[in-house]
Amino acid sequence: MGLMEAGRAAQAGTVESMDCLVTISPDAERRRIEISGSGVSRFRATMEQKINQVLDKLGSSENIEISVQDNGAVDVVLGARVEAAYLRFKGVIDA
Amino acid sequence: MALNAVKRDIPSNIEGYGSTDGKLFGGAFARKPEGCRAGAAIRSRGPNDGGKFLGSIRDAIAASGLASGMTISFHHHLRNGDFIVNQVLDECAKAGIRDLTIFPTALFDVHRALIPHIQSGVIRRIMGSVNGPIGQLVSEGELAAPVVLRSHGGRPRAVISGDVRIDVAFIAAPTADIGGNMSGRAGKSACGSLGYAFTDAEYADCVVALTDNLQHYPIAPISIPGIYVDFVVQVGSIGDPDGIVSGTTRVTRDPLRLLIARHASKLIEASPFFQDGLSFQTGAGGIPLAVTAFMKEAMKRRHVRGGFGLGGITGYFVDLLKEGMLKKLMDVQSFDREAVESISSDPRHIEISADWYANPWNCGAAVNQLDVVILGATEVDMDFNANVNTESDGALLHGIGGHQDTAAGAKLTIIAQPLLRGRIPCVVDRVHTVTTPGEVIDAIVTEFGVTINPRRKNLIDACKEAKGKDAVHLVPLDELAERARRMSGPMAPVRQKDRVVGVVEWRDGTVIDVVRQIFPENISS
Repeated sequence: MGLMEAGRAAQAGTVESMDCLVTISPDAERRRIEISGSGVSRFRATMEQKINQVLDKLGSSENIEISVQDNGAVDVVLGARVEAAYLRFKGVIDA
Repeated sequence: MALNAVKRDIPSNIEGYGSTDGKLFGGAFARKPEGCRAGAAIRSRGPNDGGKFLGSIRDAIAASGLASGMTISFHHHLRNGDFIVNQVLDECAKAGIRDLTIFPTALFDVHRALIPHIQSGVIRRIMGSVNGPIGQLVSEGELAAPVVLRSHGGRPRAVISGDVRIDVAFIAAPTADIGGNMSGRAGKSACGSLGYAFTDAEYADCVVALTDNLQHYPIAPISIPGIYVDFVVQVGSIGDPDGIVSGTTRVTRDPLRLLIARHASKLIEASPFFQDGLSFQTGAGGIPLAVTAFMKEAMKRRHVRGGFGLGGITGYFVDLLKEGMLKKLMDVQSFDREAVESISSDPRHIEISADWYANPWNCGAAVNQLDVVILGATEVDMDFNANVNTESDGALLHGIGGHQDTAAGAKLTIIAQPLLRGRIPCVVDRVHTVTTPGEVIDAIVTEFGVTINPRRKNLIDACKEAKGKDAVHLVPLDELAERARRMSGPMAPVRQKDRVVGVVEWRDGTVIDVVRQIFPENISS
């Protein structure tokens, strides 16, 4: 898989209850996390920590924007969606 | 600031509400009434005084003497189909009337059309439930005075005791005659019971009936007699029938909710109240309806016949009445077409007022006769206190309904709820808002089993006696809370300002909690 394909936005997840939709796209400056939806008011810090943890484990060092549209996903779901979106972004797995 | 009996810090003076001195919640049954009932202005209409009929809402507003700063009331029997509240406020705005206090028994999504009137100052205060966009607006501090939340029983108590004086009551009537006699049973906008409107009719200084089905004098049967009614207005339509009554409500098919309902049903069956004459209230929610279905099965199996069903009535309760599983229905609000049809045709299906249903300050409301009630909550805490008013972000988005009244009245009060809603735990260390105190809540039922308030030792013993397939799976509260914490992860506190945007009254008029303004960025969409 070449870098050419790695530039495009990739998604994983749904907006069903207890799930989230994760979109990863290139960012000009840094790793940027945007979260909206039901978990944001009370769980933003917990969610950011989980997202960073998953991306670090996958060895991500790119400048990317991770946009999460949350509908009440617990951490294991959020982590799985971030991982899938990132691997799609990298072209490692199919969309 | 002073702590009330559920350890909430209540400001000694709340701007736009007044002093809370002597009005701190002191226990579910602590406050007793004093003095006499309040009363409406005495009016007379003699044989030579002309008729009550007026051609438009605008004429009625003029005739009623409605002026800036007054209090106007509405009932919510037309629910999300209501055309009247918005129209009346539109006409008030056109007439240049401002700073109104609106005193509805509840507001629905359709009333989002009031937002411009809130922003322009036509509406200064809301005493009643707020939800959806109006709730969000209130939570973010857009209303001049705090919303005052009262239960279905607390509201008529406030009127009868004089806490609230209604200047003009606008009562939508699916059927009315030229003398102002009203009924909800017939007409294209039929809604069944008119229970929430009774006290307003008796205690308002001026009563306006609005109907789209004007009949000759007198109609029969009559729910609210015209002796209380000053004016009658004919309008094209008081509401949208599809928003007024729902179609047949179906029991949930969600396995998680069915499991919760099964646990709750087993608890009821094991309780000392499961015997002939059993009375209950379950409302129209998914889990409570499923509990009703399971209870029916258990009643048949054990040859138990119920007494009465109470509250908001659905087709499910009507079926129980028809099959002889219940002897009477006491209906303050008819939820669906089956209920409307039944109250119109079956004398065992009784229309009751909100006062009769739930007021703590009369000589015995119907809730006092209740054996079992199934309720929901957004959160419950380690003291068994329940929150039904605010969401996890602190937004005031729900009314109290009959929650406080039925919990206080029933012998067995059950909160049935999944442990998590999305990621949000429903069992927490401390609820954001106390709506109903733990002293009147007997059990919490989740998918993990039944958690009984340790104060109810007899109930715990009864559950332990149930064996085999009737066994009740008991879970201690701390285990439940720990499970919720593990699943949801660490939660940040709600970010809020000091300003009070909502006052939650206990049904006796004391302040059980306040709701504070939230930051706009709390919006979750």
